[in-house]
Amino acid sequence: MSHVRILFMFLLSVIGSMPAMAEDTLKVAVAANFIAPFEELAQQYETKTGVKVEATFSSSGKLYAQIANGAPYDLFLSADEDRPRKLAAQGLSQTPFVYARGQVVLWTSRKDLFSAKEWQSIVKRADVAKIAVANPETAPYGAAAKQALEQARLWEAVQPRLVFPQDIAQAFQYAITGAVDAGFCSLSSAFTTEGRMGYYLRVPQAPAIIQAACVLTSSPRKDTAAAFADYLRSKEAMAVIMRYGYLK
Amino acid sequence: MIDLLPLYLSAKLALVTTAILLVIGAALAYPLAFRRFNGKSLCEAFINLPLVLPPTVLGFFLLVLMGPRAAMGRAWQALFGSGLLFTFTALVIASIIYSLPFAVQPMKTAFTRIDKRLIENAYVLGLSPISTFFRVILPNSLGGIAAGAILVFLHTLGEFGVILMVGGSVPGQTKVASIAIYEAVEALRYHDAWVLSALLIPTSYVFLLVSNKVFRSE
Repeated sequence: MSHVRILFMFLLSVIGSMPAMAEDTLKVAVAANFIAPFEELAQQYETKTGVKVEATFSSSGKLYAQIANGAPYDLFLSADEDRPRKLAAQGLSQTPFVYARGQVVLWTSRKDLFSAKEWQSIVKRADVAKIAVANPETAPYGAAAKQALEQARLWEAVQPRLVFPQDIAQAFQYAITGAVDAGFCSLSSAFTTEGRMGYYLRVPQAPAIIQAACVLTSSPRKDTAAAFADYLRSKEAMAVIMRYGYLK
Repeated sequence: MIDLLPLYLSAKLALVTTAILLVIGAALAYPLAFRRFNGKSLCEAFINLPLVLPPTVLGFFLLVLMGPRAAMGRAWQALFGSGLLFTFTALVIASIIYSLPFAVQPMKTAFTRIDKRLIENAYVLGLSPISTFFRVILPNSLGGIAAGAILVFLHTLGEFGVILMVGGSVPGQTKVASIAIYEAVEALRYHDAWVLSALLIPTSYVFLLVSNKVFRSE
């Protein structure tokens, strides 16, 4: 009996010592390609205003499904325009705004590929056995990469060598660990510490990925969220975003 | 028309894994049940490790180990001329490790329950340890072996985290039912998710019923 009591007290003390969630902590759902710049932005914003920003990173598709089913986020930074637009159409969010334009690159850590001049030449090489394309159905960067491959008339031929990670972050992870020879990633991933150790080629055939964000209607702190949304479009934030390989 | 290939792949993966694990499981359970050796409890704890490790941890290790930069991945590449990761074979290897305790534990229990005198009689009558295993031990532990097989089959059928990490969702190779359902939900194709799930539930349920029967008849 006393054991049970001790265990119970222990559990209580654990629960009691957990930090209480601050009232004005912003909960933001962020597309996986935007991890690196967002961490810096959140830090900068917190030092500036004292408002804590807490991010959940995942594929836009997954985040969209969560939000559509009532997930308690204040703000949603998608990797595309469609999903925020759909949320707005359902009355689940306020009017979306564009916060970044992403670019697709083909990234590789294989030293012998560093001399390639065009991404197509890497894709066509017989000794490139595996190429990662984020699931085109749910990851906007994957969809853009697929479009580029189709335009270059390589999509059919490359099928047997394709691997489909769940989001752009996993695509980059496969490429870093050498699990694949090359991966279609976001230009921003090439700007990270790990990214700099590899080599990337731009994929101009892939359309620029217009990334939109929106304040969610269910947010209990819409004013704080709107202030952060304004900050995202400020010159200061734009400078950070562009430093990570996004276009204005 | 929804794609049923993932269901077939899941069933194939579960069957192949079960077949291989029956052999490996028996080979590991035998010394654990009958032999005394140094570090036995260390071995047993190691075999049971997949029970408590998060599938993502296991998946991450396997991703690195089977990749072209690790010894295992390189050896495979040298032997077979193609990479190991993102193939059906890689999933089989991952599933064998993931489900290993589910094969070894029931078999070990079944082996230790056999009356020692039966085995001693076999030796006295001149049977070698190997023929004792096949003619005395195996026939007397069928229940445990069947239970292990069913558990492995179901555990592999429901495998998700490890495959998400090492699979890469290649259609016809590594896009098994659990992954296909996950992707369907993400892409808001709820109808497909429903159909695949609806087919998976009765299969698992029937096998669980069978395994309960086997356990009770023990």
